[in-house]
Amino acid sequence: MLNIDVTSKFYNDKEILKNLHINIHEGDFISFVGPSGCGKTTLLGLVSRLDEDYSGKITLDNQAIDFEIGYMFQDSRLLPWLTVRQNLLLVLKDKSKEHLVEELLKEVELEEYMNSYIKELSGGMQRRVALCRAFINQSKIILLDEPFVSLDFPSAQELRALFMKFYKNYRPIVILVTHNLTEAISMSNKILFFGSKPTKVVLTYNNEKDFSSNLYDEEIQNIKKEILSKYPSILSGDVS
Amino acid sequence: MVASNKIHSFIILIIIWQALAVVVNVDTLPAPLEVMYSMHYHIFEDELLHHLGITLLRVLIAFAIAMVVGVFFGILMGNYKKIDAQLDFFIILGLNIPALVTIILCYIWFGLTDFSAILAVILNKVPAVVVTVREGAKAINVKYMQIAKVYKISSYDTLTKIYLPQIYPYIMASARTGLSLIWKIVLVVELLGRSSGMGFQLSMFFQFFDITSILAYSFAFIFVVLLIESFILAPLEKRATRWRENA
Repeated sequence: MLNIDVTSKFYNDKEILKNLHINIHEGDFISFVGPSGCGKTTLLGLVSRLDEDYSGKITLDNQAIDFEIGYMFQDSRLLPWLTVRQNLLLVLKDKSKEHLVEELLKEVELEEYMNSYIKELSGGMQRRVALCRAFINQSKIILLDEPFVSLDFPSAQELRALFMKFYKNYRPIVILVTHNLTEAISMSNKILFFGSKPTKVVLTYNNEKDFSSNLYDEEIQNIKKEILSKYPSILSGDVS
Repeated sequence: MVASNKIHSFIILIIIWQALAVVVNVDTLPAPLEVMYSMHYHIFEDELLHHLGITLLRVLIAFAIAMVVGVFFGILMGNYKKIDAQLDFFIILGLNIPALVTIILCYIWFGLTDFSAILAVILNKVPAVVVTVREGAKAINVKYMQIAKVYKISSYDTLTKIYLPQIYPYIMASARTGLSLIWKIVLVVELLGRSSGMGFQLSMFFQFFDITSILAYSFAFIFVVLLIESFILAPLEKRATRWRENA
């Protein structure tokens, strides 16, 4: 279980996170939905250890913060001076598993680009490499900071489907930060709606059905309508 | 294409030079052919290669040390504001002290030795390397460093595969300008206080007003610089920036 326990987090002298407790169970795919600036990405930064300047504790199975993490950013963030293969090898922890590089690239249909530099790949292809990078160590935690934005719809859809495929291989804990409610419903089994000032979880929605990122499923629209009719201003972080 | 351009320029230079030599017809402007003969003489019957070798060695030692020291302090100052603020004064000082002053002071304080000579060259070059590399270190993209942190990449890999590639263009730029600057200073250093090397020889020829030999030495020297530029520095740069080309 991933325990997020943040007593307080300051940013530019402003306390943006206060007494936030979130427990995420094994195999949970959680979406963080909320208005811009509500601290979702900040929270992701704390879990990923990019930001260690806070008071509180984040543990995985009661172990302090020393676990492997896979992280997909809003951009592919691959190193342009390395080839696709070198980019993946760089993060691979168990160097005896070099064969994983080729296997993963095959799954995303990029094995022929293994020795290409990043610039030779399209935006969608780069994200697929970033996807491989996030999963190469079979990390128990995968963090997604809006990794499907600024892609054309088919590419984004393809990437989501690939992500679900990788996810279902071993079901790690996934946290997806998104503004897209449809995306959240279609992928995750739990949605946390955030409100700001101070950041808190205003609503938890449990999603029983597995849509496997099929955004076209009509039922998703129904769920979305249901949530929005019950809490009209939920996307701006308000439950009233 | 570029190489043929260079050859064209060279041929034009020779033609103009030859024409001038014929028109002016004085001892102080020998024709290209005379210089060629002189060069042949100095290479095969005199000590040109010996002196060239000595100068080259001094250049390489000074260059290597200046680059290592400059890159080290450049990265340090680019990353730590306090150190930057503390050392910035010395950099400005170093950039603005005339080369001649450092050379003379080194000779007076440390004697007329190779140590003083090389030290003087290094002191002249290091500030410029620091300034360029510092810019590079300041331009480091935080986003790439986050990859290192999130994926817990070892410090060695972070340095060699994420950090240094980003400042490599800056290091290359300072290496290229550095080499040409160091050549020039080494000659002055040799002229002022050594009894060997190209600079020393040039000063001897100057005393005898031996223009032909001066030009012969200069051309031999230019030739070596071009070789280093085309066969060492340019390929190195090309290799390092390969990833940018095919887009």
